[in-house]
Amino acid sequence: MQSDQPSSTALPREVADDVDEATLARVMRTVPLGAAVLAGSAVALLVAGYLLIYILVFIPRGTVG
Amino acid sequence: MSDTHPEMHERWILQTELLWAFGVGVFIAATLSMILFTALKMSVNPPSNVERIDPKTLHLAGEFAEHNLGTTVGGDGSVTVRAIATQFMFLPRCIAVPANRLITLRFASPDVIHGLLITGTNVNTMVLPGFVAQVHTEFTRTGDLLMPCHEYCGLGHSEMWATVQVLPDSEFKPGPGGRVSCAQR
Repeated sequence: MQSDQPSSTALPREVADDVDEATLARVMRTVPLGAAVLAGSAVALLVAGYLLIYILVFIPRGTVG
Repeated sequence: MSDTHPEMHERWILQTELLWAFGVGVFIAATLSMILFTALKMSVNPPSNVERIDPKTLHLAGEFAEHNLGTTVGGDGSVTVRAIATQFMFLPRCIAVPANRLITLRFASPDVIHGLLITGTNVNTMVLPGFVAQVHTEFTRTGDLLMPCHEYCGLGHSEMWATVQVLPDSEFKPGPGGRVSCAQR
């Protein structure tokens, strides 16, 4: 490496924080729960939209075949 | 769950995934049950009919000759509508049907692919030259419904539409040969 190209770690803000295993475990206990809630809400909204259109629009339009 | 033991964490992830799979399984089962229920109890099915017809001669003789087009009430009381979808009109341009009776709609095309839907109902089909498109339905509300072509069929496509006149039983009176025309209003 040339001297005029300093390492990225020369800047303190580019250096990763020390990982404390206990803190990581605590964070990992809530982050997947948030992902599950987000995915669950998104799927629930889609399913609710599908059911509403099926029951309130499609079925009342009558028989077809 | 433990903060430190990775095995416990794995187990918790597995439980979450199993719960998710259970939820998806319930949704799929509910959807399939709904489709089966509406198909068996309410006769809601995708229209399916494979019946060939020669597009070059269909207007000359047979079922789709001009004198056969429109609404016909059979001897057994069944109502059949026959119409031709052609560039750029439906023949006839107005179709009279009774409310609250099972109706058979039959369409054929002598030229290109057309399609149609009847607004406010689930009637929706393509009309392919060489095949008879058939849909069974029951109109529950009286009034005039728009029936546009919904498959681009050429420059005049946007002008291609017909009217479906849903009449109450008191106004649906078959004439000679069981023919019914649109009421003049």
